[in-house]
Amino acid sequence: MNSGWVLVALLAVPLAGAAGLLAPAFAGRVPRLYGLVVSGLALGLAAVALALFDFSAPQRVQFETDLAWIPGLDLRFHLGLDGISLPLVVLTTLLVFLCFVYLAGRSAAPDGPGVRLAGLRPRALVFTLLVLELGMVGTFVALDLLLFFVFFEVVLIPMYFLIAIWGGAERRAAAVKFILYTLLGSAVLLLGLLLIWSQAGTLDMVALAAAHPMTRSAQVLAFLAVGIGLAVKTPMWPLHTWLPDAHTEAPTVGSVLLAGVLLKMGTYGFARIAIPILPEGAAVVAPWLGAFAVVGIVYGALACLAQRDLKRMIAYSSVGHMGFVLLGFATLTPVGLNAALFGNVAHGLITGLLFFLAGAIKERYGTADLTELGGGLLTRLPYVGSLLTFACVASLGLPGLAGFWGEMLALQGAFAPGGELSRPLYLTFMTVAGLGAVLTAAYFLVMLSRVTHGVAAEPVRFADVRRAELVAWVPLVGLTVLFGLWPGGLLGLTDPVVQVVLGVP
Amino acid sequence: MHVVYPVVVAALLFSIGVYGVLARRNTILVLMSVELMLNAVNLNLVAFDVWLRDVLHGGQVLTLFVIVIAAAEVGIGLAIVLAVYRNRRTIDLDRLRELGEPVEPPVGDRG
Amino acid sequence: MTTAATVVLLPFIGAVAGLLGSRWPRGRSRTEENNARAARRAAWLAIVPLPVALVLLGYLVWRTRVGPGLDWPPGTFYADLLPGFRSGAWGVIETGGVPITVGLQIDGLSVLTAILVCVVALGVQVYSVGYLRGDPRYPSYAAFISLFTSAMLLVVFAADLLVLYVGWELMGLCSYLLIGHWWEDRGNSRAAVKAFLVTRLGDVAFLFGIFTLGFAAGSFRIADVLAADLPEGTLVAATLLLLGGVAGKSAQVPLHTWLPDAMAGPTPISALIHAATMVAAGIFIVARLFPIFPQPTLDVLGVLAAVGMLGAALAALAQDDLKRVLAYSTISQLAYMAAALAAGSPGAAIFHLMSHGAFKALLFLCAGAVIHHVGSNLLSHMGGLRRVLPIPFWTMTIGFAALVGLPPTSGFFSKDGVLLALEHSASPIRLLLYGSALITVGVTGAYATRAWLRGFFGEQAPLEPAHGHAAPPTMLWPLVVLTVPTLLFGFLGAGDLALGSAAVTLVVGLLGVAIVLAAWRAAPAADPARLLGPFRAPCEEAFYLDRVYDRLVTRPTMALALLVVRTDTSVVDGAVRGSGQLTLRLSRLVKLAQQGNAQLYVTGLLAGVLLIVVGAVVL
Repeated sequence: MNSGWVLVALLAVPLAGAAGLLAPAFAGRVPRLYGLVVSGLALGLAAVALALFDFSAPQRVQFETDLAWIPGLDLRFHLGLDGISLPLVVLTTLLVFLCFVYLAGRSAAPDGPGVRLAGLRPRALVFTLLVLELGMVGTFVALDLLLFFVFFEVVLIPMYFLIAIWGGAERRAAAVKFILYTLLGSAVLLLGLLLIWSQAGTLDMVALAAAHPMTRSAQVLAFLAVGIGLAVKTPMWPLHTWLPDAHTEAPTVGSVLLAGVLLKMGTYGFARIAIPILPEGAAVVAPWLGAFAVVGIVYGALACLAQRDLKRMIAYSSVGHMGFVLLGFATLTPVGLNAALFGNVAHGLITGLLFFLAGAIKERYGTADLTELGGGLLTRLPYVGSLLTFACVASLGLPGLAGFWGEMLALQGAFAPGGELSRPLYLTFMTVAGLGAVLTAAYFLVMLSRVTHGVAAEPVRFADVRRAELVAWVPLVGLTVLFGLWPGGLLGLTDPVVQVVLGVP
Repeated sequence: MHVVYPVVVAALLFSIGVYGVLARRNTILVLMSVELMLNAVNLNLVAFDVWLRDVLHGGQVLTLFVIVIAAAEVGIGLAIVLAVYRNRRTIDLDRLRELGEPVEPPVGDRG
Repeated sequence: MTTAATVVLLPFIGAVAGLLGSRWPRGRSRTEENNARAARRAAWLAIVPLPVALVLLGYLVWRTRVGPGLDWPPGTFYADLLPGFRSGAWGVIETGGVPITVGLQIDGLSVLTAILVCVVALGVQVYSVGYLRGDPRYPSYAAFISLFTSAMLLVVFAADLLVLYVGWELMGLCSYLLIGHWWEDRGNSRAAVKAFLVTRLGDVAFLFGIFTLGFAAGSFRIADVLAADLPEGTLVAATLLLLGGVAGKSAQVPLHTWLPDAMAGPTPISALIHAATMVAAGIFIVARLFPIFPQPTLDVLGVLAAVGMLGAALAALAQDDLKRVLAYSTISQLAYMAAALAAGSPGAAIFHLMSHGAFKALLFLCAGAVIHHVGSNLLSHMGGLRRVLPIPFWTMTIGFAALVGLPPTSGFFSKDGVLLALEHSASPIRLLLYGSALITVGVTGAYATRAWLRGFFGEQAPLEPAHGHAAPPTMLWPLVVLTVPTLLFGFLGAGDLALGSAAVTLVVGLLGVAIVLAAWRAAPAADPARLLGPFRAPCEEAFYLDRVYDRLVTRPTMALALLVVRTDTSVVDGAVRGSGQLTLRLSRLVKLAQQGNAQLYVTGLLAGVLLIVVGAVVL
């Protein structure tokens, strides 16, 4: 039975939903549930994929669709799902659905001096989010290099508009910086992909991963180009400076999707393109990747310690977490790659929750500046404060919650790197990353102490967690705990694929 | 006489005309230089026509064409010069810069 | 096997139920009635799992009475008492590298430690009901204590090093949440953060040690690690890294600075976490992995212990805050256990761990009753309380007697066991350990007597009007119950008593007691610590170690953080903005060609044509 229709439908639903919004019937107002229904449908399709997935063989590409797209250039419309992309697709559709839940709840309850997000151009907002979903899902299911690139680029425009129209005070500059920087990275990525095409003659990811027809120097060059392009998206130090500005100025749903999904696209590219297709290139560049990753961990942590804006701080923490992911990739061992893929999903869940909470706080207080927030959040918003504590504790990598496994396994991978990578170098990386983990705990706890503890300036209680917000946040909390206590759920999916990718017999 | 003499003269005249087009500030002088270039080309055409003993006399026919076109062009060119002078009170080419962007005053000039 | 899992899970379920269900479904708002109802429900959810767990542990005691054991070092009392060993696994987590086994193991050491944990936790939970009466956040507090208990039991029963690490870190989190229970005061919040960060630093080294052992042995299971034949260098490296975690959790030099500040938390927490259980985890892990600890590591541990025990005892002598006296006392007693380990006798260490757990918890809970009554932690605000608080007075006397090591309390037997081990050890630093321990016995006697006299004797200090209510029965019963093991536990190891060494220890201890007694008799109103003379200030500030850490670690880190932010804005982001500026400048450069001068354009055209012609001719 050909189940390829699932992925095609998964792409068609957001597209149709967005196209449907152009109908004149919606010119006046958009029904609040429109986005919810469309994204719910997409989530349902992802659940169908989850149910139909063959868990005994995650390394096999499933739900495959292979049609000729542009025969003249030999480009194919090749879609497929395997153990690496399945969790990411489910994560994407879930986060978009939760964003719509959050928006539905928000427009109904005016409270606090925050920006009325949903009130401004609601039709355009839903359209933007649906196009964004299309691009995000497409990136994870594409199995043709240029098809992947097309979807990779598709997300940039909606995100630009999301920041530029619905963002904060300095949104114009942040949006321009975001799009120009990531476009530059994508241009370099395209050069790398074209190099692969010219050397290998094919664009099919599956075929390229199976056979490695490129010469060593070509692989190194291609890995550098592809790597730099993906590194801008990840983001890797020192190509990270677009992220703090974009996050600070983006609206809540923009930040959640930016941190929760867009950053995963960069690391997914490493797992899907850079390492399987260019193994020798990876072996040469890996020490540098590891070095930059580790610098990013410590740098991000130190920058967080001195931040005054809550969202900016969480943005820098993303740089640190992605540093752990990249360190996992740089070790080129099964443990390291498993760690990276696990950390990917964990970061999506936890940082998505963090940005939801930061958005809720900003909406009620009217500011995200730590000094203006003062203290005593647990007095004024006890449930939000407790959830914030939970999210921060999860983010600093406490065992028992999802964040731990990504960090710990990445350190384990660095302890014994693969191939001919220099052991002392990687032990240094591991030590520095370990110190970075302590600094991560430091900044989160200092922030919690500053914001949630102490006495509030005016001990008036705000309206605490609303039902819509609770519905939006509880799945993230639940999944964080679930994967923290049951890492085998994700590891069982990624390990077989990783073993094949690294050619371990 | 060898063809070299009129050809060299034509070349010299052409060079003088190019210099005039590129370097003179007065537009009428530029137009005169263009005329000079065209007439040098005419001289060249006639010289080669005689030297090659063309049956169809293509060179001389082309020369007639060029003379006519040059006359028409000068007429229009002078009309344009007159219009420019009426509007700008100058026909100094260095001052007529509307093709380019307005030059920003250097930073620090504003108050 | 399922019994052990149930023991671990019972408090966990209690914790989850307490966190989520205390106020559900009707008690959301913080009215008096809702608070009371939630508190009652939370108390039941917190207390009930513990006696059930104790019953199950009794069953496990019976199961481990006979059976083949692991290759224990000879002569440890727990291996002799409960030699059985069982282990089982529920699955393996395949990570692509060394697999992690999710499993538990049961043996004498784990069962006895678990009993200690559950007894003290039960006492603390019952005590807290009275201590925190009227506190609207009591439900989450009780739930966190249950979570902590579950985590400690996981550490005790874990069969795999990484499963142990999970429990280890969870304890750290609960410690943070509980120290910061009264977070309205920023000082408490800071103390909680400090505790978490210092222990986390040690835990990173601990994790690296686990990696070294796991990779070398090919498995993270404790039994496999103990059975594997690892090279000496690997063992030294791995165990030195493990010592980082031990020093952090068990508050040994140099990672001990968090413990005195952790006294900012409610006193029952100090009793449970910072006296009896969490700090014992470090000693526990060394005892658990003792067969693979090589001599060099044990020597390092011994030196740290020798410094710590004496330094902490001197610091305890100079403190004015009663809880800080007990905190430094804990550091000193833990150093005793570490010294016993360094001397090669895990049995003596664990014996002292258990007896210390009982009497230190007793001391802290009594201190809580005293503080509850007086309304202040400071010894200078106390005095003459023996008439007003009879039960705390008698129980605390027994506790202090155990601390000093007077017969027939358990402290006498366990302390003697430690000193005997130090005296007869084969370690190269034997003399340092024994000498330091002997002097510390004297100082211990001194500070215990000082606290006892200043608190209960002399003039009664004037009380604040808001305080002065008697302690409720829920607070007094645990005190009485805990005196039982304090008095009787020692007889379990009575067979190993050596009268000569015991007599020496007793004399030195009584010497310390006598000196302070004499000083106090001479001037009842003054502080006997004045005997320290000019050394009083350094002792009170714990030799300024906190300030050193602040200068060396905290401030440079914050300065570095500010530097990083500035670098990010000016250098890294500056490069990004600079690239934009560069592009604009380049375009301005190119714009110079667009002068608007038509003749310039024609010149350019001509030059281009010439180039093309030349090129066409040449090439």
